[in-house]
Amino acid sequence: MKYETVIGLEVHVELATESKIFCSCSAKFGGEQNDHVCPACCGMPGMLPIVNKKVVDLGMTAGMMLNCDINRTTTFDKKSYYYPDLPNAYQTTQWFAPVAVNGTVEIETSKGKKSVRIKQIHMEEDAGKLVHDDWTDTTLVDFNRTSVPLIEIVSQPDLSSAEEVIAYLERLRSLLRFAKVSDCRMEQGSMRCDVNLSVRPEGSDKLGVRTEMKNMNSLTAITRAIEYEVARHIDAIENGTEELVQETRRWDDVKGKSYAMRNKETAGDYRYFPDPNVMPVVIDDEWFDSIKASLPEFPEIKRARYIDELGLGEYDANLLVESRAFCDCFEGAYAVCKNAKEAANYLISDIMNLLNKKQMTVDMLTLDGKSLGELINLVTEGKVSRPNAKKILAVMFDEGVNPAEYAEKEGFIVSNDTGKIEEVIAAAIASDPKAVADFKGGKEKALMALFGKCMKELKGNCDPQTLREMLIDAVNKQ
Amino acid sequence: MDIKVLKRLEKLNQLQLTEEQETAFLEFWAKQAKEADAMSEIDTENVERMVHVMPIMTVVREDKVIKNFTRDELQQSAPETNDGYWQVPRLVE
Amino acid sequence: MYLVKKDVTAKKAVVLDDMILTKDMPTTAGSKMLEGYMSLFDATVVEKLGVAGFEVAGKANVGEFAIDVMGETSHFGATKDEKGNLSLASAEIVKGGDVKAAIQLDVNGSPRRAAAVNGLVFVKPTYGTVSRFGIVPVACSGECVGVMAKTAEDCEAVLDAISGYDAKDGTSLPEDMIEEAEAIKKVAVVTAFDGSIDADVKADIEAFVKELEAKGVEVVKVDGTGLLAAKTAWNILMSAELCNNVSKYDGVKYGYRSANYTTIDELYTNSRTESFGDLLKTAILFGSETLSDENYMKMYDKSMRVRRVTVDYFDSLFEDVDAVLMPATSKKAYTEDDVKGMAYEENIYTAPASITGLPAVVAKGVQLVGSVFSEKALLELVK
Repeated sequence: MKYETVIGLEVHVELATESKIFCSCSAKFGGEQNDHVCPACCGMPGMLPIVNKKVVDLGMTAGMMLNCDINRTTTFDKKSYYYPDLPNAYQTTQWFAPVAVNGTVEIETSKGKKSVRIKQIHMEEDAGKLVHDDWTDTTLVDFNRTSVPLIEIVSQPDLSSAEEVIAYLERLRSLLRFAKVSDCRMEQGSMRCDVNLSVRPEGSDKLGVRTEMKNMNSLTAITRAIEYEVARHIDAIENGTEELVQETRRWDDVKGKSYAMRNKETAGDYRYFPDPNVMPVVIDDEWFDSIKASLPEFPEIKRARYIDELGLGEYDANLLVESRAFCDCFEGAYAVCKNAKEAANYLISDIMNLLNKKQMTVDMLTLDGKSLGELINLVTEGKVSRPNAKKILAVMFDEGVNPAEYAEKEGFIVSNDTGKIEEVIAAAIASDPKAVADFKGGKEKALMALFGKCMKELKGNCDPQTLREMLIDAVNKQ
Repeated sequence: MDIKVLKRLEKLNQLQLTEEQETAFLEFWAKQAKEADAMSEIDTENVERMVHVMPIMTVVREDKVIKNFTRDELQQSAPETNDGYWQVPRLVE
Repeated sequence: MYLVKKDVTAKKAVVLDDMILTKDMPTTAGSKMLEGYMSLFDATVVEKLGVAGFEVAGKANVGEFAIDVMGETSHFGATKDEKGNLSLASAEIVKGGDVKAAIQLDVNGSPRRAAAVNGLVFVKPTYGTVSRFGIVPVACSGECVGVMAKTAEDCEAVLDAISGYDAKDGTSLPEDMIEEAEAIKKVAVVTAFDGSIDADVKADIEAFVKELEAKGVEVVKVDGTGLLAAKTAWNILMSAELCNNVSKYDGVKYGYRSANYTTIDELYTNSRTESFGDLLKTAILFGSETLSDENYMKMYDKSMRVRRVTVDYFDSLFEDVDAVLMPATSKKAYTEDDVKGMAYEENIYTAPASITGLPAVVAKGVQLVGSVFSEKALLELVK
């Protein structure tokens, strides 16, 4: 028999804010254990929640990027359960009126295009981190992540394969990173995905038993987990190897298996109710419009524009639209130098190398596009040589210096002083008569030694073509 | 409500009643449930729920980090800590 | 009575109910769970008292999380007056003259009852006018910080000191939303409670009516049956919110931890079971169950709607009168035996103001409830 898989996803994304959602602690990743903590987010009595406005901004932004309707009055609710990573024994989330509802995400796979419906996006607080210590047989609790703002993006069960799930997640990641909602780094847990999955005979209109899988922290793990789980379901249906029950399962990527999580009798019984301490957030037209106006161009629209209007190749355009930071830098540079190909080249080769060398991700790029454009102008105008431009770029990358000022200060401006060039050439010729003789004897390569010496003496501040011509001239006169 | 529901309710709220307390609670519940039934008589069909008694909206703060307390201060009354962590018995997942 | 006492001069001294967090004294909420608990910060009201030049004389014992009739559930013992009747620690301290006033958290009416039986004045201001930052939270949608004193004048002076907008409390009212009510010229006496109160309480009301009339205040009668459901609804809202608010007390981060556990669930259950009192346990379980899938609509959701019905009912009364006069208690004195099983019953008189956030003043054994921001006008009536 043929089977079809029905998958819905709950994707948690940590928002790119400085501070937490309901208190003013740092939301930065990392830090010493329990260093980003205050009485509110470690569950002490007396502090009251005040909503971080940026969280609502980003919640709305995500909603708009995923074609959702924005709830103009959005409210917060409490969800209760006991777990050591939840210091208040409740999570403040959105149950009755989430910030965004009814969206769509377009994906493309080997089977063609598909629209995945979004049920809702709600804002909520993250839980803390538990470290299980085998030596002392204890669990250690770190509240740094407690109350870090999240959005949960809940899809309808519109996905039917691991390939579609990956396409959907990549699409989400691209859109959310573009809109600077989140850095969406699965390895750091800033993007997490729970997979709700069931399997049924093809054509059946009755859904099979649904299981929820957690703890996949890479796209590869998600693929493996889905494939494993589908096989397990089919095996159970066909061979009766086990009875499928609705449950939450934990993926163990090392063992390549999923396991039923501790069967809590009380699981799923969260006793939601509206939070009396958090007033409704009303999104007026002014607020709504300002967020709408701040939305970035969708990556595929940028890509098409880069190719069709700016004449970039498909490869370059694809690389650039991987990251909003690259696009911003590219567009900033283009605005100044009007040379798309050059700007793309600097980004894709030189700047990418610099990022790699410093082990930075593309999103961490802070280089100002305008400065890059100015540097390109200096090169095009022949004022700075190409090798020197790379040196200047490295300093711009680290320190954000102004390229013209820096070139001037460090003596990187191409010299038009032919007297100086002649002087240098004369000195080079005098110091290496063998090279002169060799060149005259027909060894073209011998000129390179002299050329290099001159260029070094001139600190590269010379148009290579000019130098070459003057050098040949001088040698021939010997 | 019966004893089975109550036992589950106790577990959900991390409490354990004595048999005597359970009997008393079941009586208490019956009384409150009856009151709730009486409350059902009030017509609220066109009445919106009222979570907050004051019509304040949109209380938000700027996204700014403020650090007022150190880890040591926060853990000064902790029953058990270990290397800057709060410590609890090993969890089974 | 005092859980902590300091040496201060009585003239500018106030005592704080032990529901108000202080960084230089423990705050227990009357519970074994929080015995010795030191807050890292002061409540906004404590800061404001300091700014106004008041000294804190100490912390007063309260019933566990302030939901009982009159302090009888405190882990540190009930407080009795000189005749052996139940009282609140704050009320006894105020009567003793050590302090000018007591700052109290009114969750379920206990300060109002204590004022009524002791002939003291208590003002529960309009919800949102006094910050709740730094209060041990119990039932956040209705609890208010109020002031108890021997006179309305003292209540007013201390209330002025602690009132005002606080950015740290998201339910705090901005100054421009507050519009003080006008002087009270007409009062309605509620008759719906007549059947449930003792004759001496009724006599206090009659005496007060005479006083009002002598002052030229017009007094009319209303049946007030629209206020009776507030008790059921408040019991539900209060208990559910309380259940959620006290779930953070689990023996992990601070507070009482049982010595008897091996698993995390045992740590939680035993710490809570060993340190929480009977009424608190009942309230937690009841509140939790009002939020279950089965009961949510019928109990919790319905109660939020009945809250609006009650607000609307008050509004309809306030179209004709400026304040409502009703009892604060059924009795003039309570013994410890009297209050058994009474916490969810005796609040029938206090729940209407609790659930609506309206201001209430208790004095001379009676209770006045007014429209929003009428607390000063109410105090004026009992000067």
